[in-house]
Amino acid sequence: MFHVEHYDVVVIGAGHAGIEAANISDKYGLKTALITKNYSDLGKLSCNPSIGGVGKTHIASEVDILGGVICKIGDKSAIHYRVLNLSKGPAVWGVRAQIDRDLYSQNMKKFIKSSKIDLIEDEAINIIEKNNKIVGVELSNIGIIKSKAVILTTGTFLNGKIYFGNESQEAGRIGNSSSKALAKFINKNFKTMRLKTGTPPRIYAKSINYDVLEPQISENNGIFLSYFTKQNTNIKINCFITKTNNKTHKIIRDNLDRSAMYSGIIKSQGVRYCPSIEDKITKFGDRNGHNIFLEPEGLNSDLVYPNGISNSLDKKIQLKFLRSIKGLEECEVNQFGYAVEYDSVDPRELKNNFETKKIENFFLAGQINGTTGYEEAAGQGIYAAIHAAIKIKKIKFNEKVFERDNSYIGVLVDDLTKLGVTEPYRMFTSRAENRLKLRTDNSYERFSTVINPKSFNKLEYSLISKNINNEKKIFDRLTQLKYSPNDLMKKNIKVKKDGKVRNGFEVLKFLDPSTDKFKKFFNLTITQKLLTKIYFDSKYDVFYEREKKSYDQLNKNKNMKLTNIDFNKIPSLSKEILEKLNKHKPENLHDAGKISGITPSALFQIVKHKKTKGNKVA
Amino acid sequence: MFKSGTIYSNFTPLVKAPVIGYRISGDDVLNILKKITKKNFSKDHSLIQIVKIYQQDETLLDECSVVYFKSPKSFTGEDVCEIFLHGSPLIASQFEQLLKDLKVSGLRLARNGEFSYRSVLNGKNSLKQAKAINEIISNESFSGLEYNKRLLFDGDIFSGLVPLKEEVINLFSEITASIDFVDDEAFNFNQIKKKIRKFFSNCNNLLQENRTNIEQKNICRIMLVGPVNVGKSTLFNKIIDKDRAIVTNIKGTTRDILSNEFIISSNRFEIFDTAGQRSKQGKIEKYGYKKAQKISTEIDHFFVLIDQNTKKSDISTLFKDFMIHKNYSLIETKSDIYNYKTKNIKINHSFERDKIYQKLKLNSIHRKYVKNKYKKTDLNLEEIEFLERILEYEQDIVNEKDILIIAQLMRNILDDFSFEFGYISSEDVYDRVFSKFCIGK
Ligand SMILES: Cc1cc2nc3c(=O)[nH]c(=O)nc-3n(C[C@H](O)[C@H](O)[C@H](O)COP(=O)(O)OP(=O)(O)OC[C@H]3O[C@@H](n4cnc5c(N)ncnc54)[C@H](O)[C@@H]3O)c2cc1C
Ligand SMILES: Nc1nc2c(ncn2[C@@H]2O[C@H](COP(=O)(O)OP(=O)(O)O)[C@@H](O)[C@H]2O)c(=O)[nH]1
Ligand SMILES: [Mg+2]
Repeated sequence: MFHVEHYDVVVIGAGHAGIEAANISDKYGLKTALITKNYSDLGKLSCNPSIGGVGKTHIASEVDILGGVICKIGDKSAIHYRVLNLSKGPAVWGVRAQIDRDLYSQNMKKFIKSSKIDLIEDEAINIIEKNNKIVGVELSNIGIIKSKAVILTTGTFLNGKIYFGNESQEAGRIGNSSSKALAKFINKNFKTMRLKTGTPPRIYAKSINYDVLEPQISENNGIFLSYFTKQNTNIKINCFITKTNNKTHKIIRDNLDRSAMYSGIIKSQGVRYCPSIEDKITKFGDRNGHNIFLEPEGLNSDLVYPNGISNSLDKKIQLKFLRSIKGLEECEVNQFGYAVEYDSVDPRELKNNFETKKIENFFLAGQINGTTGYEEAAGQGIYAAIHAAIKIKKIKFNEKVFERDNSYIGVLVDDLTKLGVTEPYRMFTSRAENRLKLRTDNSYERFSTVINPKSFNKLEYSLISKNINNEKKIFDRLTQLKYSPNDLMKKNIKVKKDGKVRNGFEVLKFLDPSTDKFKKFFNLTITQKLLTKIYFDSKYDVFYEREKKSYDQLNKNKNMKLTNIDFNKIPSLSKEILEKLNKHKPENLHDAGKISGITPSALFQIVKHKKTKGNKVA
Repeated sequence: MFKSGTIYSNFTPLVKAPVIGYRISGDDVLNILKKITKKNFSKDHSLIQIVKIYQQDETLLDECSVVYFKSPKSFTGEDVCEIFLHGSPLIASQFEQLLKDLKVSGLRLARNGEFSYRSVLNGKNSLKQAKAINEIISNESFSGLEYNKRLLFDGDIFSGLVPLKEEVINLFSEITASIDFVDDEAFNFNQIKKKIRKFFSNCNNLLQENRTNIEQKNICRIMLVGPVNVGKSTLFNKIIDKDRAIVTNIKGTTRDILSNEFIISSNRFEIFDTAGQRSKQGKIEKYGYKKAQKISTEIDHFFVLIDQNTKKSDISTLFKDFMIHKNYSLIETKSDIYNYKTKNIKINHSFERDKIYQKLKLNSIHRKYVKNKYKKTDLNLEEIEFLERILEYEQDIVNEKDILIIAQLMRNILDDFSFEFGYISSEDVYDRVFSKFCIGK
């Protein structure tokens, strides 16, 4: 392969952010190169062999409908499914797929090879810019390649250092050298911080005594990661559950001085939650035990990933505490757990299109921006690449889809670029004010204005349009049906006798969402999947309206003049926010929203105050 | 620290009075003092000094006392000075003109409440404390006063709402965790619903308790009745110690009803003077008498004033007209000129005010009609209204089965608490989640 051409987009790093970035850039017709240190690392799942979960699935499904690959390849490589929160509304269903690690890498490689992306195996050692505008990238072997835009997605590799107890070595993750040359450029040009994360040991499957453990069987409820997946024919494996016990806790507690995170060797910013077993024991040591999920790494793999015991203890201690756990009494370890410490960029260095403020056409995405997780990385990769495409090709694009009220990607971008991070950022559904609306079952609807036919094959695209048409047909029929309170009474549905005539869609929320009932009531046939979706649309409608009103209020008031407003009189604004408002003196609400650290709720409160003059004080 | 120009305002009314006070707060205080007094105050934190204030043309404006409070040890946390001018509105207007003429950039008249705001912004007072100051000033009941003082001097943590705020953050944290972190811990929806009901019943209890305490009677109403010219208005004036009623020799000059509030050793009273009763009344007097009769149902205690000229029949008419039963004291007036041989209370206009209070036994009368006079309250009026608003959510939340809708509504409640205590962000909630539950793998 020759790489002297002039690229439109060069993506550095072929992790979850990089792959999505390169793929979408290619789909938008941009000449794209994907650079990675090791060809074999492409799409490697550095940590747990699973994709999805509450919040994570939500981002992944958005990536999926934007033309991304994480869900499709995830489903192709999945060997176990569960849906979390199934008893709650679908807004928080979280499908979680156990992934065959090797299968995932193979499928990913196949996919990239089949695309027009130039895959380059080399190390990026410098970013070339001129007058604060990107020129290209310097690679260790090949030298300089030019590009209109560069998207950097090097994950945990910048000055990465890994720790087992008192032992440490420089590495982006185990088996991969850390990227020091590139780190120099980044540290020189951007504000960075040191973050840390960890991973558990990998255990030989054969050394585990499964007989004494409780199995967890794969669920089969037709819910997949991807909108486009119809079935998964892979053999399904069982996971197993075991628990730490007092003995385990004692071993860990007695040896905290031999944990890199606890002995003071690692000084970087810790997190409030408990990513490591050391944290769990220190903060919640009085519990009866902490669950460990034993997750096979693949159909042909002899390794098991014990989810729940990330740690950075000395290798000997790791073995000792593992063997104190039921089922693991005779376990053998293939790879010990470790902590990794790395440089990440303060995401407030980014504009809200993920381009750095300092260097034009230089985009950052993934863990380098202070996040954690494959899905969070994928979401950023696709977001950055779409924005690179918008810039390079001057595409007209409905930016509204990436506002907080419309997508988790929007929430993530807004949180990162406005608030920055103090600990690795992970998506929670509770971060979204508009949670009831941001569902995986309606992402096609939320992104309908930007779905790019070129990002899908014919089959996929026709599936989207077919579904949209079907839904529209049913919806139109429903809204034509009219019911007075009396009509509803006769059908045993209790509503207020308000004389209000309701249409079928408005009535739907009073029914059970079963296809039979639906057929009987409306005389219309519907699939369960679609019924569930529109049932919750009907049920949450008032709340959409309420949220929409507040967001509309924000949008409508974007030009609201703030020059004559005294922010100090809004009692519910925090001091930090006040300081920022007083410092920047935004002309209007729109500008206020652009100030880093200004939250939407702060904006609501300004509007509310302006409308009502707020609470009076003294 | 918050900065936005130097502000000034009078803190006493701008009326003829012994003194008129001004307060100035902001960065330019020392500069202004130097300009108007030719003195450097920078080393004189919280010392009262008598100084001369000069106008622009070097003529003397006033000689008065000035105190300087160095930031941050001041009410607003900024540099502050307080100036006590001689109490002439004319001097005050000259003083304000002088401040304008100084042309200190950013110096302006404070907006209503701005000193308090600054004290909040600079962390001298919390939002609640600032509101408490306001309530203290406008407060009319002692029970509320004590509570607001506690808020002001001891801080927000003494607000009766604090336990509810803690409860609602905990509750919301648990709801949040039960949705986002299902596989990290075992959560129980019924348990959560139970806690929600408990929260609302706690709101309700607190509200009921305090509503009765705050609305409880704390004032004793007394009325002076008696024949014309017996000395009612004279006594009224003596009691309230103000030139309020007109006292003349012409019969029947107290034409309408007059009332006034006064406080003796923490007991609140409202006293009513009435037009006198006589056989032939003028129109206006008749009206006044009628009006007094109407109010009489709300009167706790009557002082029936009589003198030597008062006939038995006049007294019985009075008792009938005002529906007086046992709630009265008979008082004989003008004891300086008449010689009474009864055991009734005797007074005359040469008695000191305090002696009158004693003679009339005002405190024991108060005790008789106003029971439980200071029930402690744990909320102020504003907080009571706040709780009423929170309780509007109760039905919707308690009857809801969808945890996501519950979460949405609970978040609204959290936002309402933000208006009381300052913003409660998602990060605050996550802090709670991560310290209460073991989250993360
Ligand atoms: C030890 C460890 C533990 C983790 N634990 C968790 C966890 O518990 N939970 C969780 O959600 N997430 C965890 N993660 C995070 C998750 O793996 C990442 O968030 C996610 O993979 C980030 O994706 P990315 O695309 O940003 O970077 P990565 O997937 O790390 O990809 C980076 C890519 O950049 C390439 N690269 C780096 N430097 C250069 C260079 N100079 N030139 C060319 N190529 C370069 C690398 O070869 C690699 O392909 C963990 C990660 C690690 C390493
Ligand atoms: N000598 C004397 N005169 C009094 C006394 N109290 C009131 N007076 C006079 O009685 C007249 C009527 O008093 P006033 O208070 O107006 O009586 P009212 O009609 O009951 O309100 C006035 O001239 C008072 O000066 C008192 O104690 N001694
Ligand atoms: Mg009178």
